[in-house]
Amino acid sequence: MSRAPKESELAVGLSVSRDAVYKPSDDLVVREIDGQIIIVPIGSGIGDLEDELFALNDTARVVWAKLDGAHTVSSVVDELARQYAAPAEQIDADVVGLLEELLKRRMVVAV
Amino acid sequence: MTTYAVSTPLPEFGLWNQLEGKGIPVSFDLELTARCNNDCRHCYVNLPAADRDARAGELTLDEIVGVADQAVELGALWCVITGGEPLLRPDFSEVYLALKRRGLLVTVFTNACLLRPEHVELFRKYPPRDVEITIYGASRGAYERVTRTPGSFDAFLRGVSLLEQGGVGARYKAMALRSNVNELSAMAQFGRAHTKDFFRFDPLLHLRYDRDPVRNAEICAERLDPEEIATIEQSDEERAHALRRECHRVAGQEAPDEPDLVFHCGVGQGFTVGYDGSLRLCSALWHPDYVADVRREPVAAAWRRLLAAAGAARTADPAYLDRCAACGLVDLCLWCPAHAYLESGSLTAPIDDFCDVAHARARVFGDPDAEGYGAGVRPNS
Repeated sequence: MSRAPKESELAVGLSVSRDAVYKPSDDLVVREIDGQIIIVPIGSGIGDLEDELFALNDTARVVWAKLDGAHTVSSVVDELARQYAAPAEQIDADVVGLLEELLKRRMVVAV
Repeated sequence: MTTYAVSTPLPEFGLWNQLEGKGIPVSFDLELTARCNNDCRHCYVNLPAADRDARAGELTLDEIVGVADQAVELGALWCVITGGEPLLRPDFSEVYLALKRRGLLVTVFTNACLLRPEHVELFRKYPPRDVEITIYGASRGAYERVTRTPGSFDAFLRGVSLLEQGGVGARYKAMALRSNVNELSAMAQFGRAHTKDFFRFDPLLHLRYDRDPVRNAEICAERLDPEEIATIEQSDEERAHALRRECHRVAGQEAPDEPDLVFHCGVGQGFTVGYDGSLRLCSALWHPDYVADVRREPVAAAWRRLLAAAGAARTADPAYLDRCAACGLVDLCLWCPAHAYLESGSLTAPIDDFCDVAHARARVFGDPDAEGYGAGVRPNS
Protein backbone atom coordinates (compact mmCIF):
# COMPACT_ATOMS: atom_id res chain seq x y z
CA MET A 1 0.00 0.00 0.00
CA SER A 2 2.08 2.91 -1.13
CA ARG A 3 0.69 6.26 -2.11
CA ALA A 4 1.78 8.18 -5.17
CA PRO A 5 4.60 10.62 -4.51
CA LYS A 6 3.64 14.26 -4.29
CA GLU A 7 4.67 16.58 -7.08
CA SER A 8 7.27 18.30 -4.90
CA GLU A 9 8.84 14.94 -4.11
CA LEU A 10 8.99 13.92 -7.76
CA ALA A 11 10.72 17.19 -8.59
CA VAL A 12 13.34 16.63 -5.92
CA GLY A 13 13.75 12.87 -6.32
CA LEU A 14 16.43 11.56 -4.01
CA SER A 15 18.96 14.28 -4.75
CA VAL A 16 19.22 16.97 -2.15
CA SER A 17 19.52 20.53 -3.36
CA ARG A 18 21.39 22.84 -1.04
CA ASP A 19 19.08 25.68 -2.08
CA ALA A 20 15.97 23.72 -1.20
CA VAL A 21 13.91 24.07 1.96
CA TYR A 22 12.57 20.91 3.61
CA LYS A 23 10.06 20.19 6.30
CA PRO A 24 8.74 17.02 7.96
CA SER A 25 5.95 15.28 6.10
CA ASP A 26 2.44 15.84 7.41
CA ASP A 27 2.04 12.05 7.31
CA LEU A 28 4.19 11.40 10.35
CA VAL A 29 4.45 12.37 13.98
CA VAL A 30 7.70 12.81 15.82
CA ARG A 31 7.58 11.59 19.41
CA GLU A 32 10.11 11.93 22.17
CA ILE A 33 9.74 9.09 24.65
CA ASP A 34 12.20 8.69 27.50
CA GLY A 35 14.84 10.66 25.58
CA GLN A 36 14.45 8.78 22.30
CA ILE A 37 13.23 10.57 19.18
CA ILE A 38 10.86 8.30 17.31
CA ILE A 39 9.22 8.88 13.95
CA VAL A 40 5.75 7.34 13.81
CA PRO A 41 4.23 7.15 10.32
CA ILE A 42 0.55 8.10 10.16
CA GLY A 43 -0.25 7.62 6.50
CA SER A 44 0.50 4.72 4.21
CA GLY A 45 3.69 4.68 2.17
CA ILE A 46 5.91 6.22 4.84
CA GLY A 47 9.03 4.21 5.50
CA ASP A 48 9.89 0.86 4.03
CA LEU A 49 7.55 -1.32 6.02
CA GLU A 50 4.49 -0.61 8.12
CA ASP A 51 5.79 -2.84 10.87
CA GLU A 52 8.73 -0.62 11.75
CA LEU A 53 9.50 2.40 13.83
CA PHE A 54 12.26 4.86 13.15
CA ALA A 55 14.61 6.30 15.72
CA LEU A 56 16.97 9.16 14.98
CA ASN A 57 20.61 8.93 16.00
CA ASP A 58 22.25 11.83 17.86
CA THR A 59 23.43 13.58 14.69
CA ALA A 60 20.04 13.19 13.03
CA ARG A 61 18.23 14.64 16.05
CA VAL A 62 20.23 17.86 15.78
CA VAL A 63 19.65 18.16 12.04
CA TRP A 64 15.97 17.21 12.26
CA ALA A 65 15.31 20.08 14.66
CA LYS A 66 16.48 22.49 11.93
CA LEU A 67 14.17 21.16 9.20
CA ASP A 68 11.52 23.76 9.88
CA GLY A 69 10.34 24.53 6.38
CA ALA A 70 11.93 27.99 6.53
CA HIS A 71 15.67 27.51 6.08
CA THR A 72 17.61 26.23 3.08
CA VAL A 73 19.91 23.26 3.40
CA SER A 74 22.91 25.58 3.05
CA SER A 75 21.73 27.80 5.88
CA VAL A 76 21.10 24.76 8.08
CA VAL A 77 24.67 23.57 7.42
CA ASP A 78 26.05 27.06 8.15
CA GLU A 79 24.12 27.35 11.38
CA LEU A 80 25.23 23.92 12.58
CA ALA A 81 28.84 24.79 11.66
CA ARG A 82 28.59 27.83 13.92
CA GLN A 83 27.18 25.75 16.77
CA TYR A 84 29.44 22.72 16.56
CA ALA A 85 33.18 22.23 16.31
CA ALA A 86 32.95 19.60 13.57
CA PRO A 87 34.41 20.38 10.12
CA ALA A 88 31.89 22.01 7.76
CA GLU A 89 32.41 19.20 5.22
CA GLN A 90 31.36 16.62 7.82
CA ILE A 91 28.31 18.64 8.80
CA ASP A 92 27.35 19.06 5.14
CA ALA A 93 27.71 15.31 4.58
CA ASP A 94 25.57 14.54 7.64
CA VAL A 95 22.79 16.95 6.66
CA VAL A 96 22.67 15.74 3.06
CA GLY A 97 22.98 12.10 4.13
CA LEU A 98 20.06 12.40 6.53
CA LEU A 99 17.92 14.25 3.99
CA GLU A 100 18.57 11.57 1.38
CA GLU A 101 17.38 8.92 3.83
CA LEU A 102 14.34 10.92 4.80
CA LEU A 103 13.40 11.72 1.19
CA LYS A 104 13.71 8.08 0.24
CA ARG A 105 11.27 7.24 3.00
CA ARG A 106 8.99 10.22 2.20
CA MET A 107 9.53 11.56 5.70
CA VAL A 108 10.38 15.09 4.53
CA VAL A 109 9.05 17.14 1.66
CA ALA A 110 10.48 20.10 -0.16
CA VAL A 111 8.58 23.30 0.55
CA MET B 1 28.10 4.49 5.73
CA THR B 2 26.22 6.27 8.49
CA THR B 3 22.53 5.46 9.03
CA TYR B 4 20.78 8.45 10.53
CA ALA B 5 17.19 7.26 10.84
CA VAL B 6 17.38 3.72 12.15
CA SER B 7 14.41 1.59 11.21
CA THR B 8 13.65 -1.29 13.53
CA PRO B 9 10.88 -3.91 13.46
CA LEU B 10 8.47 -3.19 16.29
CA PRO B 11 9.17 -6.33 18.36
CA GLU B 12 12.88 -5.52 18.32
CA PHE B 13 12.52 -1.87 19.14
CA GLY B 14 14.76 -1.25 22.14
CA LEU B 15 12.38 1.22 23.73
CA TRP B 16 10.30 -1.53 25.34
CA ASN B 17 13.21 -2.73 27.48
CA GLN B 18 14.30 0.83 28.15
CA LEU B 19 10.89 1.75 29.60
CA GLU B 20 10.55 -1.28 31.86
CA GLY B 21 10.15 -0.35 35.50
CA LYS B 22 10.04 3.39 34.82
CA GLY B 23 6.32 3.81 35.39
CA ILE B 24 5.73 4.82 31.77
CA PRO B 25 2.60 3.24 30.29
CA VAL B 26 3.73 1.75 26.99
CA SER B 27 0.17 1.15 25.90
CA PHE B 28 -3.41 1.83 26.78
CA ASP B 29 -6.76 0.37 25.78
CA LEU B 30 -9.74 2.52 24.95
CA GLU B 31 -13.10 0.82 25.35
CA LEU B 32 -15.13 3.17 23.18
CA THR B 33 -18.41 1.58 24.14
CA ALA B 34 -19.76 -1.38 26.09
CA ARG B 35 -22.54 -1.74 23.52
CA CYS B 36 -22.39 -4.34 20.81
CA ASN B 37 -24.37 -5.33 17.73
CA ASN B 38 -23.99 -8.97 18.83
CA ASP B 39 -25.11 -10.59 22.08
CA CYS B 40 -22.43 -13.24 22.55
CA ARG B 41 -23.03 -15.78 25.28
CA HIS B 42 -19.51 -15.60 26.63
CA CYS B 43 -18.95 -11.84 26.50
CA TYR B 44 -17.71 -10.11 29.64
CA VAL B 45 -18.68 -6.61 28.50
CA ASN B 46 -21.50 -6.38 25.99
CA LEU B 47 -24.64 -4.35 26.49
CA PRO B 48 -27.37 -4.01 23.86
CA ALA B 49 -26.56 -1.72 20.93
CA ALA B 50 -29.59 0.42 21.76
CA ASP B 51 -28.84 0.71 25.49
CA ARG B 52 -29.56 4.41 26.08
CA ASP B 53 -27.96 4.66 29.50
CA ALA B 54 -24.76 3.04 28.29
CA ARG B 55 -24.66 5.32 25.28
CA ALA B 56 -25.32 8.42 27.36
CA GLY B 57 -22.45 7.52 29.67
CA GLU B 58 -19.85 7.11 26.91
CA LEU B 59 -16.90 9.44 26.74
CA THR B 60 -17.34 12.08 24.07
CA LEU B 61 -14.90 12.55 21.22
CA ASP B 62 -13.40 15.57 23.04
CA GLU B 63 -13.01 13.57 26.24
CA ILE B 64 -11.34 10.71 24.35
CA VAL B 65 -8.95 13.12 22.67
CA GLY B 66 -8.17 14.59 26.08
CA VAL B 67 -7.36 11.12 27.44
CA ALA B 68 -5.19 10.39 24.41
CA ASP B 69 -3.28 13.66 24.83
CA GLN B 70 -2.58 12.83 28.46
CA ALA B 71 -1.56 9.26 27.62
CA VAL B 72 0.82 10.52 24.93
CA GLU B 73 2.26 13.02 27.40
CA LEU B 74 2.96 10.09 29.74
CA GLY B 75 4.83 8.31 26.93
CA ALA B 76 2.23 5.85 25.62
CA LEU B 77 2.98 4.65 22.11
CA TRP B 78 0.43 1.91 21.62
CA CYS B 79 -3.36 2.16 21.76
CA VAL B 80 -5.95 -0.58 21.37
CA ILE B 81 -9.43 0.55 20.37
CA THR B 82 -11.92 -1.97 21.67
CA GLY B 83 -15.41 -2.25 23.09
CA GLY B 84 -18.11 -3.60 23.02
CA GLU B 85 -18.00 -3.14 19.31
CA PRO B 86 -16.12 0.11 18.61
CA LEU B 87 -17.59 0.48 15.13
CA LEU B 88 -20.97 1.17 16.77
CA ARG B 89 -19.68 4.63 17.58
CA PRO B 90 -20.75 7.01 14.80
CA ASP B 91 -17.56 8.99 15.45
CA PHE B 92 -15.28 5.95 15.21
CA SER B 93 -13.34 7.42 12.26
CA GLU B 94 -12.76 10.72 14.07
CA VAL B 95 -11.54 8.90 17.17
CA TYR B 96 -9.26 6.66 15.11
CA LEU B 97 -7.74 9.52 13.17
CA ALA B 98 -7.26 11.63 16.29
CA LEU B 99 -5.27 8.79 17.89
CA LYS B 100 -3.19 8.30 14.75
CA ARG B 101 -2.44 12.02 14.52
CA ARG B 102 -1.04 11.92 18.05
CA GLY B 103 1.61 9.43 16.98
CA LEU B 104 -0.01 6.38 18.52
CA LEU B 105 0.23 2.90 17.00
CA VAL B 106 -3.43 1.97 16.86
CA THR B 107 -4.87 -1.55 16.96
CA VAL B 108 -8.59 -2.09 16.41
CA PHE B 109 -10.49 -5.03 17.91
CA THR B 110 -13.74 -5.69 16.06
CA ASN B 111 -16.21 -8.42 15.12
CA ALA B 112 -16.07 -7.05 11.53
CA CYS B 113 -19.86 -7.11 11.16
CA LEU B 114 -20.22 -3.32 10.94
CA LEU B 115 -17.25 -2.66 8.66
CA ARG B 116 -18.17 -0.37 5.79
CA PRO B 117 -16.21 0.77 2.73
CA GLU B 118 -15.38 4.08 4.44
CA HIS B 119 -13.68 2.21 7.29
CA VAL B 120 -11.61 0.23 4.80
CA GLU B 121 -10.67 3.42 2.98
CA LEU B 122 -9.67 4.98 6.31
CA PHE B 123 -7.46 1.97 7.13
CA ARG B 124 -5.91 2.07 3.66
CA LYS B 125 -5.02 5.73 3.97
CA TYR B 126 -4.01 5.62 7.62
CA PRO B 127 -2.96 2.03 8.33
CA PRO B 128 -3.67 0.57 11.76
CA ARG B 129 -0.95 -1.32 13.55
CA ASP B 130 -3.37 -4.26 13.57
CA VAL B 131 -6.99 -5.09 13.01
CA GLU B 132 -7.97 -8.10 15.13
CA ILE B 133 -11.17 -9.93 14.28
CA THR B 134 -12.87 -12.55 16.42
CA ILE B 135 -14.45 -15.58 14.76
CA TYR B 136 -17.41 -17.06 16.62
CA GLY B 137 -18.15 -20.01 14.35
CA ALA B 138 -17.32 -21.43 10.94
CA SER B 139 -20.96 -21.98 10.00
CA ARG B 140 -23.99 -19.72 10.28
CA GLY B 141 -25.49 -22.10 12.86
CA ALA B 142 -22.58 -22.06 15.29
CA TYR B 143 -21.72 -18.40 14.72
CA GLU B 144 -25.23 -17.19 15.43
CA ARG B 145 -25.68 -19.67 18.28
CA VAL B 146 -22.87 -17.72 19.97
CA THR B 147 -23.81 -14.19 18.84
CA ARG B 148 -27.57 -14.71 19.22
CA THR B 149 -27.93 -12.21 16.39
CA PRO B 150 -29.61 -13.28 13.14
CA GLY B 151 -27.71 -12.08 10.09
CA SER B 152 -24.45 -11.64 11.98
CA PHE B 153 -22.64 -14.45 10.13
CA ASP B 154 -23.31 -12.89 6.73
CA ALA B 155 -22.33 -9.47 8.11
CA PHE B 156 -19.06 -10.97 9.42
CA LEU B 157 -18.23 -12.54 6.05
CA ARG B 158 -19.08 -9.25 4.31
CA GLY B 159 -16.72 -7.35 6.62
CA VAL B 160 -13.90 -9.85 6.06
CA SER B 161 -14.41 -9.60 2.32
CA LEU B 162 -14.41 -5.79 2.37
CA LEU B 163 -11.08 -5.72 4.20
CA GLU B 164 -9.52 -8.22 1.85
CA GLN B 165 -10.77 -6.45 -1.27
CA GLY B 166 -9.33 -3.24 0.16
CA GLY B 167 -5.96 -4.85 0.83
CA VAL B 168 -6.16 -4.30 4.59
CA GLY B 169 -4.61 -7.21 6.46
CA ALA B 170 -6.21 -8.46 9.64
CA ARG B 171 -5.38 -10.96 12.36
CA TYR B 172 -7.97 -13.53 13.36
CA LYS B 173 -8.69 -15.11 16.72
CA ALA B 174 -11.42 -17.22 18.26
CA MET B 175 -12.87 -18.22 21.58
CA ALA B 176 -13.40 -21.95 22.09
CA LEU B 177 -16.84 -22.30 23.63
CA ARG B 178 -19.35 -25.04 24.36
CA SER B 179 -21.49 -23.55 21.58
CA ASN B 180 -18.82 -23.70 18.88
CA VAL B 181 -16.25 -26.28 20.02
CA ASN B 182 -17.36 -28.74 17.35
CA GLU B 183 -16.25 -26.22 14.73
CA LEU B 184 -12.96 -25.22 16.30
CA SER B 185 -10.81 -26.86 13.64
CA ALA B 186 -12.91 -25.28 10.87
CA MET B 187 -12.63 -21.89 12.62
CA ALA B 188 -8.87 -22.35 12.83
CA GLN B 189 -8.77 -23.24 9.16
CA PHE B 190 -10.75 -20.10 8.30
CA GLY B 191 -8.57 -17.96 10.56
CA ARG B 192 -5.30 -19.27 9.16
CA ALA B 193 -6.56 -18.89 5.58
CA HIS B 194 -7.44 -15.23 6.12
CA THR B 195 -5.01 -13.93 8.73
CA LYS B 196 -2.14 -11.64 7.84
CA ASP B 197 0.21 -13.46 10.21
CA PHE B 198 -1.14 -15.92 12.74
CA PHE B 199 -4.35 -17.29 14.23
CA ARG B 200 -4.91 -18.05 17.88
CA PHE B 201 -7.78 -19.33 19.96
CA ASP B 202 -8.50 -18.98 23.64
CA PRO B 203 -10.50 -21.51 25.66
CA LEU B 204 -10.38 -19.59 28.97
CA LEU B 205 -13.37 -17.44 29.89
CA HIS B 206 -13.46 -14.95 32.72
CA LEU B 207 -16.61 -13.42 34.15
CA ARG B 208 -18.33 -10.15 33.41
CA TYR B 209 -17.16 -6.74 34.47
CA ASP B 210 -20.67 -5.76 35.60
CA ARG B 211 -20.96 -8.98 37.66
CA ASP B 212 -24.42 -9.66 36.16
CA PRO B 213 -25.31 -13.06 37.71
CA VAL B 214 -27.51 -14.17 34.81
CA ARG B 215 -24.85 -13.37 32.21
CA ASN B 216 -22.16 -14.91 34.42
CA ALA B 217 -24.13 -18.16 34.51
CA GLU B 218 -24.22 -18.09 30.71
CA ILE B 219 -20.45 -17.66 30.61
CA CYS B 220 -19.94 -20.57 32.99
CA ALA B 221 -22.14 -22.71 30.77
CA GLU B 222 -19.84 -21.95 27.83
CA ARG B 223 -16.69 -23.03 29.67
CA LEU B 224 -15.13 -26.25 28.44
CA ASP B 225 -13.97 -28.96 30.85
CA PRO B 226 -10.28 -28.85 31.83
CA GLU B 227 -9.41 -32.16 30.16
CA GLU B 228 -11.37 -31.10 27.08
CA ILE B 229 -9.38 -27.86 26.91
CA ALA B 230 -6.07 -29.71 27.15
CA THR B 231 -7.20 -32.16 24.49
CA ILE B 232 -8.21 -29.53 21.94
CA GLU B 233 -5.01 -27.62 22.66
CA GLN B 234 -3.08 -30.83 22.03
CA SER B 235 -4.83 -31.28 18.69
CA ASP B 236 -3.70 -27.83 17.50
CA GLU B 237 -0.05 -28.11 16.54
CA GLU B 238 0.84 -24.43 17.03
CA ARG B 239 -0.85 -24.19 20.39
CA ALA B 240 0.54 -27.51 21.59
CA HIS B 241 4.04 -26.37 20.68
CA ALA B 242 3.56 -23.08 22.56
CA LEU B 243 2.22 -24.87 25.63
CA ARG B 244 5.05 -27.41 25.69
CA ARG B 245 7.49 -24.51 25.54
CA GLU B 246 5.63 -22.68 28.32
CA CYS B 247 5.59 -25.81 30.51
CA HIS B 248 9.32 -26.15 30.01
CA ARG B 249 9.77 -22.48 30.99
CA VAL B 250 7.66 -22.63 34.15
CA ALA B 251 9.38 -25.83 35.23
CA GLY B 252 12.66 -23.98 35.31
CA GLN B 253 11.59 -20.75 36.92
CA GLU B 254 12.36 -19.67 40.46
CA ALA B 255 9.78 -19.20 43.20
CA PRO B 256 8.84 -15.54 43.72
CA ASP B 257 10.99 -13.62 46.22
CA GLU B 258 7.99 -11.92 47.78
CA PRO B 259 5.05 -14.34 47.65
CA ASP B 260 2.81 -12.03 49.67
CA LEU B 261 2.76 -9.45 46.87
CA VAL B 262 -0.72 -9.48 45.37
CA PHE B 263 0.29 -8.44 41.85
CA HIS B 264 2.95 -10.68 40.28
CA CYS B 265 1.45 -10.12 36.84
CA GLY B 266 2.36 -7.58 34.19
CA VAL B 267 0.29 -4.85 35.80
CA GLY B 268 1.94 -1.49 35.31
CA GLN B 269 2.74 -1.69 31.61
CA GLY B 270 -0.36 0.25 30.64
CA PHE B 271 -3.93 1.00 31.50
CA THR B 272 -7.48 0.73 30.23
CA VAL B 273 -9.97 3.56 29.92
CA GLY B 274 -13.54 2.34 29.90
CA TYR B 275 -16.40 3.78 27.90
CA ASP B 276 -17.58 5.64 30.99
CA GLY B 277 -14.20 7.13 31.86
CA SER B 278 -13.14 4.49 34.36
CA LEU B 279 -9.37 4.03 34.38
CA ARG B 280 -8.02 0.62 35.42
CA LEU B 281 -4.51 -0.81 35.51
CA CYS B 282 -5.75 -3.59 33.26
CA SER B 283 -9.00 -4.24 31.50
CA ALA B 284 -10.25 -6.85 33.99
CA LEU B 285 -9.10 -5.19 37.22
CA TRP B 286 -12.35 -3.83 38.64
CA HIS B 287 -11.53 -3.90 42.35
CA PRO B 288 -12.53 -0.41 43.56
CA ASP B 289 -9.08 0.22 45.07
CA TYR B 290 -7.66 0.15 41.54
CA VAL B 291 -10.28 2.07 39.57
CA ALA B 292 -10.12 5.81 38.88
CA ASP B 293 -12.32 8.17 36.86
CA VAL B 294 -10.71 10.29 34.14
CA ARG B 295 -13.64 12.69 34.36
CA ARG B 296 -12.59 13.52 37.93
CA GLU B 297 -8.84 12.98 37.98
CA PRO B 298 -6.08 13.65 35.45
CA VAL B 299 -4.82 10.51 33.73
CA ALA B 300 -1.24 10.93 35.01
CA ALA B 301 -2.36 11.35 38.62
CA ALA B 302 -4.73 8.38 38.41
CA TRP B 303 -2.11 6.19 36.73
CA ARG B 304 0.56 6.94 39.32
CA ARG B 305 -1.84 6.58 42.26
CA LEU B 306 -3.16 3.20 41.13
CA LEU B 307 0.28 1.95 40.15
CA ALA B 308 1.63 2.80 43.61
CA ALA B 309 -1.35 1.10 45.25
CA ALA B 310 -0.88 -2.08 43.22
CA GLY B 311 2.86 -2.16 43.88
CA ALA B 312 2.28 -1.90 47.62
CA ALA B 313 -0.53 -4.46 47.83
CA ARG B 314 0.35 -7.43 50.02
CA THR B 315 -1.76 -10.17 51.51
CA ALA B 316 -1.73 -12.55 54.44
CA ASP B 317 -4.58 -14.62 52.98
CA PRO B 318 -3.50 -18.21 53.72
CA ALA B 319 -5.62 -19.58 50.87
CA TYR B 320 -3.55 -17.51 48.44
CA LEU B 321 -0.19 -18.00 50.12
CA ASP B 322 -0.64 -21.77 50.36
CA ARG B 323 -1.95 -22.26 46.84
CA CYS B 324 -1.56 -19.63 44.07
CA ALA B 325 1.48 -17.86 45.53
CA ALA B 326 3.16 -21.21 46.02
CA CYS B 327 2.14 -22.70 42.67
CA GLY B 328 4.68 -23.01 39.90
CA LEU B 329 1.91 -23.52 37.37
CA VAL B 330 0.29 -20.15 37.85
CA ASP B 331 1.52 -19.02 34.43
CA LEU B 332 -0.49 -21.82 32.82
CA CYS B 333 -3.57 -20.59 34.62
CA LEU B 334 -6.15 -17.87 33.98
CA TRP B 335 -5.70 -16.93 37.61
CA CYS B 336 -4.66 -13.38 38.36
CA PRO B 337 -5.93 -10.97 41.03
CA ALA B 338 -8.31 -9.31 38.55
CA HIS B 339 -9.92 -12.55 37.42
CA ALA B 340 -10.05 -13.85 40.99
CA TYR B 341 -11.94 -10.69 41.96
CA LEU B 342 -14.44 -11.13 39.13
CA GLU B 343 -15.05 -14.74 40.22
CA SER B 344 -15.16 -14.33 43.97
CA GLY B 345 -15.01 -10.70 45.07
CA SER B 346 -11.52 -11.30 46.47
CA LEU B 347 -8.25 -10.46 44.75
CA THR B 348 -6.50 -13.41 46.36
CA ALA B 349 -9.04 -16.25 46.23
CA PRO B 350 -7.85 -19.38 44.43
CA ILE B 351 -10.30 -20.34 41.67
CA ASP B 352 -10.75 -24.08 41.30
CA ASP B 353 -11.95 -23.96 37.69
CA PHE B 354 -8.79 -22.13 36.60
CA CYS B 355 -6.62 -24.36 38.74
CA ASP B 356 -8.02 -27.50 37.16
CA VAL B 357 -7.17 -26.22 33.67
CA ALA B 358 -3.59 -25.39 34.65
CA HIS B 359 -3.08 -28.87 36.10
CA ALA B 360 -4.67 -30.54 33.08
CA ARG B 361 -2.29 -28.57 30.85
CA ALA B 362 0.69 -29.56 32.97
CA ARG B 363 -0.31 -33.23 32.75
CA VAL B 364 -0.62 -33.09 28.96
CA PHE B 365 2.19 -30.73 27.99
CA GLY B 366 4.65 -30.94 30.89
CA ASP B 367 7.75 -33.09 31.05
CA PRO B 368 6.97 -35.85 33.57
CA ASP B 369 10.65 -36.06 34.49
CA ALA B 370 11.08 -32.32 35.05
CA GLU B 371 12.20 -31.18 38.46
CA GLY B 372 11.93 -27.71 39.90
CA TYR B 373 9.53 -25.10 41.09
CA GLY B 374 7.11 -25.21 38.18
CA ALA B 375 7.27 -28.97 37.89
CA GLY B 376 7.06 -30.03 41.49
CA VAL B 377 4.86 -27.62 43.41
CA ARG B 378 1.26 -28.55 42.81
CA PRO B 379 -0.40 -27.86 46.14
CA ASN B 380 -3.89 -28.95 45.21
CA SER B 381 -3.14 -31.96 43.04
